[in-house]
Amino acid sequence: MMEIIQSKHWVEWLITICKFGFAFVPVIFILLLIPLERRGAGFIQDRQGPNRSYFKIPYFGRIRLFGWVQNACDGLKLFFKENYSPSGVNKFIFSIAPAIPFAIVLISPCVIPWFAPMVFTMGDEVIRISGQTVDTEVGILLLFGLSSLSAFGAVLAGWASKSKYSLLGGLRTSAMTISYEVCLGLSIMGILLLVGSFRIDEIIAWQEANVWGIVAQPVAFFCFLIAMIAETGRAPFDVAEGEPELVAGFHTEYGAMQFGLFYMGEYSHIGINSILVACLFLGGYSVPFVTTETIQSNIGISLAVLCGIFVVAILAFLHLLYRYARWYKKSAASNKQVILREYSLYKILGWAAVVVFAVAGVASALFFHPQFTVIDGQPVYGIGVALGTALIHILVLLVKAIFFCWIWIWVRWTLPRFRYDHVMNLGWKVILNIALVNLVLTALIAKLLGGI
Amino acid sequence: MPKLPTANSPKVAIFVDDKEVLVPGDTNLLEALKTVGIETPHICYHPYLPVSGNCRQCLVEQEGPRGRMLIIACFTPVTPGMKIYTPASSARVKNARQATSEFMLVNHPLDCPICDKAGECSLQENYMESAHQSRLRPEVGKQYHGNPDHTFVDSKGQVRGGKRVALGPRVTLDEERCVQCDRCVRFMRHVAKDEQLQLASRGDHTYITTFPGEKLDHEYDLCVTDICPVGALTANHFRFQQRTWLLSRTPSISMDDSLGANIWIDHNNGKIWRIMPRCNPEVNRSWLSNTSRLAYMGFTENRLASGDLNIVSDLLKHAKKVALVAGGACTLEDLAALKMLKDYLGDRASLFGGTLRPVLEADGISKSGDPLANRAGFKALGIPDNNLNDLMKHAADYDVLLTVHNDLFGDDEGAMILKKIPNRVILSAFNDETSKDATLVCGVNHWSEVTGSMINSLNILQKLSPAPTCPDAQLKPAYEVLSTLAGNPLTSAIAALQKVQEFVPALKPYSYENIRSTGVKLDGVLL
Amino acid sequence: MVRQIKQKPMNWIERLYIFEAFRGLWTTLKHALRGLLRYETLPTVPYPEIKPEISRTYRAKHRLMLRPDGTPRCVACGMCATACPAHCIFLEAAPAEDGRIEKRVLRFDIDHLVCVFCGLCVEACPVDALRMDTCDTSYVFRKREDFVTPMYQLMSWDPKDYPQDDLQSQMAPGGTKNKQALDAWGLKVN
Repeated sequence: MMEIIQSKHWVEWLITICKFGFAFVPVIFILLLIPLERRGAGFIQDRQGPNRSYFKIPYFGRIRLFGWVQNACDGLKLFFKENYSPSGVNKFIFSIAPAIPFAIVLISPCVIPWFAPMVFTMGDEVIRISGQTVDTEVGILLLFGLSSLSAFGAVLAGWASKSKYSLLGGLRTSAMTISYEVCLGLSIMGILLLVGSFRIDEIIAWQEANVWGIVAQPVAFFCFLIAMIAETGRAPFDVAEGEPELVAGFHTEYGAMQFGLFYMGEYSHIGINSILVACLFLGGYSVPFVTTETIQSNIGISLAVLCGIFVVAILAFLHLLYRYARWYKKSAASNKQVILREYSLYKILGWAAVVVFAVAGVASALFFHPQFTVIDGQPVYGIGVALGTALIHILVLLVKAIFFCWIWIWVRWTLPRFRYDHVMNLGWKVILNIALVNLVLTALIAKLLGGI
Repeated sequence: MPKLPTANSPKVAIFVDDKEVLVPGDTNLLEALKTVGIETPHICYHPYLPVSGNCRQCLVEQEGPRGRMLIIACFTPVTPGMKIYTPASSARVKNARQATSEFMLVNHPLDCPICDKAGECSLQENYMESAHQSRLRPEVGKQYHGNPDHTFVDSKGQVRGGKRVALGPRVTLDEERCVQCDRCVRFMRHVAKDEQLQLASRGDHTYITTFPGEKLDHEYDLCVTDICPVGALTANHFRFQQRTWLLSRTPSISMDDSLGANIWIDHNNGKIWRIMPRCNPEVNRSWLSNTSRLAYMGFTENRLASGDLNIVSDLLKHAKKVALVAGGACTLEDLAALKMLKDYLGDRASLFGGTLRPVLEADGISKSGDPLANRAGFKALGIPDNNLNDLMKHAADYDVLLTVHNDLFGDDEGAMILKKIPNRVILSAFNDETSKDATLVCGVNHWSEVTGSMINSLNILQKLSPAPTCPDAQLKPAYEVLSTLAGNPLTSAIAALQKVQEFVPALKPYSYENIRSTGVKLDGVLL
Repeated sequence: MVRQIKQKPMNWIERLYIFEAFRGLWTTLKHALRGLLRYETLPTVPYPEIKPEISRTYRAKHRLMLRPDGTPRCVACGMCATACPAHCIFLEAAPAEDGRIEKRVLRFDIDHLVCVFCGLCVEACPVDALRMDTCDTSYVFRKREDFVTPMYQLMSWDPKDYPQDDLQSQMAPGGTKNKQALDAWGLKVN
């Protein structure tokens, strides 16, 4: 035991343990996704979306955080509601079912590479740390296996509810998951063929070195995206909980936090899938047009650019804020004083952040010049550079993932729900065939061009 | 008085609108046309008042030796073979009636919104019938708008007399609305036989008034508000209380007099707002005394709550000698139930009946003067109707007194001797003098709230209908309480009536369905 | 008459769905960006804070019109209660102190929980005493009994809230035409 512990440097241990924190990234995504979904849906439908809940703080009064507080209110409500179940159900399965999809998204992030493998010197030692929590050869297969397990939650819930609607919903979910699992697997075969590995970090490294997956395999990208949306069971593929025919599908009989777990499971599933799509087709953590080596050798400038991007984003936010404040001042709203008070807090925080990021950016550009030692013909930097690079990588990956999250929401509020037979048609007769043809063509072209 | 058609009237053939019809030959044209279903509008004519013929509203055309002439239907006797034309065939009659309506309306204010007669006003009815297509249009200053600057000025520019003239303690006159039909004058002169009202002045200035310094004050003075065709005479007790069309009417019998005047109980929202006479040619015609009419004010006041019958039946079970006393407001059903109780108690009980109030002379209008309303019913069921003095003489013999609807102590101080009876059980609607001195009281329904039947002094079987105005849903009719004490509860009036028919087989043919609203004459069937 | 509408058949690009889906996505994106960047142009109104403009002809909460001396114009004729299909008007009458008016209203309650806002009472009123032009559409109370609006509440309105050309409203106490009306009608304010 002690040998294993002593075989690694304490920094390596520390970072490895910290990497377990990534398991909660999809859960944090829920916090982002619910307001994004609800207010995004509002805007798409020319509504305002939920923006009423608030908490009170001294001086600034009611803080609404642009509707963010609604999450807390809804969650609180679900927590304090009574858990009930229909009479005669199998209580154990009935209560375990909602936990399954949610538990799985806690495991899934283990194979996602959050940053490029860290290599840095610590004293005399050279420390290497992988970007994944679990550094395994079968990364993507593990991920697929786990994510298709989440169908169990729906199936068990549907069966345990003792309700026709729930059962039909559960059956539809299982049928759809099986159908689209095939498409999902086949559509990424092309890119796996090109890369020649199941490891996601190697797929990303290949994309960084050559070209993004979306350019190399555009057809596969669309097939994969559609199959992914279908697998999460969201509109336009939410036949499993189609309200017109099945009330609410497999979670008809669920209430309170049991329903909340389904809900959270669905959102965190979107989160993890977005990250996966970003990894497979959008270069993962890699910054476009810039290699990891370039970032590392110009780490000061890189961090300065990052701070600059932050400053620009916050300034844009402040611009919107000032515009709304101007409009509110002119409007006849009876609560405009309250809102302006609230906005003043955001303004203070915004300007403070601008100053902080500007100073940090300038400081890092001027003073962050890392030293390196050359090992095996490669420059190896210190821990500061490694952590800075990792930070940039994580942020880039999250930005890409959030973009895909928006696509999930965007598609849901645009396209009407498919009929069940259309879903099956699309899965088996269209996407599967396209993916197959794509695989064959990719193989041919790759053989002809690259001679793999 | 006009002669009204009866069942024995000789039939004669006349021609109405060139069609031959058979009508009663001994009456006037207006009544004759009514028998063949032709309604003739009229203001001054009233079937129970002498014909005056001053309103000219009931015009029809008659073929005479000098051609077709307009005549008034109310004052023209029917003659065989006469040729009559109604508005159905004659435009001239239509025009004439329209013009008459116009003449009347020209000098009549349009304040129907605040007029208590609105809804049952002859002028309104005639207007809707004949004149609403006329040239009459609301004129400036005439249309009612409820403002203080509203003063009705007639077509000659004069103000037409006073509003709210207090004719007497109970009747208010509005001179603007009066159409000078003189029905009220004729009523006071010929029916009430006390000429208190007169038409004063001439022509356009005619108005109704009393003699100088006198007031309109008579037992029947509220009848003038019924017969007034417009809202000129209004009763103070109903003034501004309810709009007439909101009232529901229940036909019933006034149980305070043995003539059993037929009444309408007009109620709304569970409250009686007025009692109106119900026309019964053989009983009270269209008249009702003030006593009966204003009695409703006490119907829901000072009422008793329902009592515990178990205590009463225990008391009766252990009683040695029981006096059962029936009162005036008992229906036949109540009496039958009392008889059941008598049979149940057997020899221990003896029946008494009657009233301690003085029996007065009949006034010939709507009162016989006998306060024991159902005296004929007492006789029919074989219940003594005048032996209360026997009871008072032998009061010491009894240990339980049970009275039904009989305010013995309130009627006569002499009845206080009955306090010697140790247990006094009172079944009454009201918390009256007798109930206050009782040892046990048990509230029952008032006669306005029960289905029942009574036989009046003219030997007419009449039925009472319940008005939904009972203040306490727990209260039960007296017959139900009595029959429960007798151990055989009669839960419906129909069952109680069957009990009556068991006791009086002569009443077998009658049920609540086939007793007509004007009652059934029992021609010597019982007595 | 039945009119047959011929639908344009879809061409093969449209039938592929995927391109039409992108068109739809573009449309919704435009709306989403409008909400994000031009929030103030959203057609929805944040209701309790910003109230929509309500026309005077909208059938809102009732009010009782007033005479220049402040008494209700209502003469308790009961036409409104008779016309009311929901039976939500309860009124009692009494003789008026002013002999020229004769009949006045003693109690005039409208149960706004039962009211169906059909406006038949307003049409039925012969003296223009009842109107529904208050533009007051919100009824928020804690108890059912509070929805029964008594007479004094129906009478408590301000002539300043009503247009100048609404002479009947301006005749009420506080209105611009109150003085002339008092003189014309010979009323005194006590």
